[in-house]
Amino acid sequence: MLDAVWVIPALPLAGAVANLFLGRRLGTKAGWLGTAAVGAAFAVTVAVLLDLLALAGPERQHIVDLYEWIAAGDFRVQVSFLVDPLSMTMAMVVTGVGALIHLYAVGYMEHDPRVGRFFAYFNLFVAFMLVLVLADNYLLLYVGWEGVGLCSYLLIGFWFERPAAASAAKKAFVTTRIGDAAMLLGIVLVFVHFGSLEFGPVLGWGTSPSTVTGAGPSEGAATAIALLLLAGAVGKSAQLPLHVWLPDAMEGPTPVSALIHAATMVTAGVYLVVRSHALFEMSEVALTAVLVVGLLSAIYAALASIGQFDLKRALAYSTMSQIGFMFFAAGMGFYAGAMLLLVCHAFYKALLFLTSGNVMHGLDDEIDLRRMGGLKADMPVSATWFAIGALSLAGIPPLAGFFAKDHIVGFAYLSGRELAWVLASIGAFLSALYIARPLFLAFFGARRNPSHAHEAPWRMHAPLAVLAAGAVVSGLLLGFRAEGVLARFLEPALGLAEPGHADLSEAVLIAISIVLAVAAVGLAWFVWASGRVDWEAFPERQPELAGWLSNAFYLNAFYAWLVRAPGMGLGRGLRSVDDRIVDGAVNEVAEDVERASRLAPVLQSGFVRSYALAFLLGAVALLLFLGLRS
Amino acid sequence: MRTPISYFLVVSAMLFAIGTVGVLVRKNALVVFMSIELQLNAVNLAFVSFSRMHGNLNGQVLAFFSMVVAAAEVVVGLAIIVTVYRRRRSASVDDVSVLRG
Repeated sequence: MLDAVWVIPALPLAGAVANLFLGRRLGTKAGWLGTAAVGAAFAVTVAVLLDLLALAGPERQHIVDLYEWIAAGDFRVQVSFLVDPLSMTMAMVVTGVGALIHLYAVGYMEHDPRVGRFFAYFNLFVAFMLVLVLADNYLLLYVGWEGVGLCSYLLIGFWFERPAAASAAKKAFVTTRIGDAAMLLGIVLVFVHFGSLEFGPVLGWGTSPSTVTGAGPSEGAATAIALLLLAGAVGKSAQLPLHVWLPDAMEGPTPVSALIHAATMVTAGVYLVVRSHALFEMSEVALTAVLVVGLLSAIYAALASIGQFDLKRALAYSTMSQIGFMFFAAGMGFYAGAMLLLVCHAFYKALLFLTSGNVMHGLDDEIDLRRMGGLKADMPVSATWFAIGALSLAGIPPLAGFFAKDHIVGFAYLSGRELAWVLASIGAFLSALYIARPLFLAFFGARRNPSHAHEAPWRMHAPLAVLAAGAVVSGLLLGFRAEGVLARFLEPALGLAEPGHADLSEAVLIAISIVLAVAAVGLAWFVWASGRVDWEAFPERQPELAGWLSNAFYLNAFYAWLVRAPGMGLGRGLRSVDDRIVDGAVNEVAEDVERASRLAPVLQSGFVRSYALAFLLGAVALLLFLGLRS
Repeated sequence: MRTPISYFLVVSAMLFAIGTVGVLVRKNALVVFMSIELQLNAVNLAFVSFSRMHGNLNGQVLAFFSMVVAAAEVVVGLAIIVTVYRRRRSASVDDVSVLRG
């Protein structure tokens, strides 16, 4: 079964092709086809995973060579897939959560006239994402990496009639492209220094048949490679400073936000860092950069999320913040912790997004938290799902988010990074605050929307129930302790992180983290649901602070100023060169020819007699000429 | 006694000159047409005269060709003039100046 791993990405790819050609004819059945393709991929993934588990720990690494893709001298690239604990963990998340979100999207996209196209793109995304996580070399990984970027572009701009959606799609594509370009340079450097792009030789494990010609990088080269790869990861995962596209990406349909911009694609950067951890570990600078980027993004996005009144944008900043925590964990060398948070986050963030899709459906696409409120009376089931997701993210035990986040924050302290621990704890407190806020604003407190919200149909609740179950138990099952089930499963690929021991015991750390989470949720209730605080007047009383929060510290405006004015100036300059010099030369020639040709019509009077006179004069002149010459 | 060749050529030149002036100064298409015929016949006369002078038939043969062409030309030309007249109730060549640039 291990050799059949190529079937996993092939199934959604086949679904995408089928939907592309038959989607229009299938109509609403296109969704079921797409869901079946991803569901089948999930089944195959489970089968492969079971086979992998049957092997002894150290042997859990299987490379499936399909064919040679590029052979140019020393540069040889195989299309080969890697089955190991890390790639299987990712594949389980992508196919499992992907299948559930596909199922949800069947109901959500039912009334869209382009449903076939939607599922074609959606399946194609899953196929590329699986290529990304299953690839055994950096080039194939890059194929998946660009493929998911393409699908992200297509799906953000799915409702391209709306200018906002079209420009958000462009923004996402261009912004991530900056990171991708750096990443491509990094991959080239990998080949230069290692003579191979396969994970085995580059990351120093396995016995690969390919010959390694490079002598291995110096520390400076390793730093360059790692930082370039990090730039790619930062672009894809919407971390500082390339994060500006993610909030705008919420213009896409909500299932897209849930699958691509919360559960899977944006975590590809985390996967890249974790997969390449051997490279990052060669350079202290690179690991520290990962840590700092993650920590700053986590706190920055948490603050920005508190300022949003658009439900999906608040969740988008929350995603950025959570991924910041994953980067933070990876930067400390706590890769298993990053992966645990990645898995748990996929559950509860997909749940939160899909539930907000229910709310939008129920309220005729209302997205503004100020016009919601008290929805738990109308939508009790959705309210329950959102509460589970939010409390899980907030880190209320024993939900998944508690374990995932607590291990990371605790690890910071146990490994002797007190400052990082304090900052991460503040980030965790803010996380609980920003996610409890939409919970209370939308579902509790006073009703601020007169229309009666209708609850979503059962088939949209079925996938939510599974996701909610995941959001509750995944932490408990996979990561009860820092060296929990997932960490031990991943050990052959990632090793075990060894925290030192510090003066605060783990119990105290856990207690601190619980107190912070509960306090944040309580504070959120007091401010936004108790009715004792006039939060709606806050922007008027503190216009500056509210502006900084709701505009995410004006970074977007700063980029616009930085790029737009010089860009427009350059454009205008080039246009005047084009107008005056390039076009000018051509137009001038054309005008001269036209002016000259205006002289010719004078000769053609239309009077036959004047022509006859011309003949006569001509004939006489000719005769005179001939006569005089002889 | 043979009439000198120059007599014929003078008559021919006079006829040609009269025809040329007719073509240039008259407006009526029919008169212009007749003037053209006059020019053609002047040339025919010159051909025949030269033929006699040289004592061979080349000039006379050429005169026959010229007559055939003239006859064909009359057919086409008159048809055009009649059509133009029907359309415009006028046979003035100056009215037919639609093709001026």
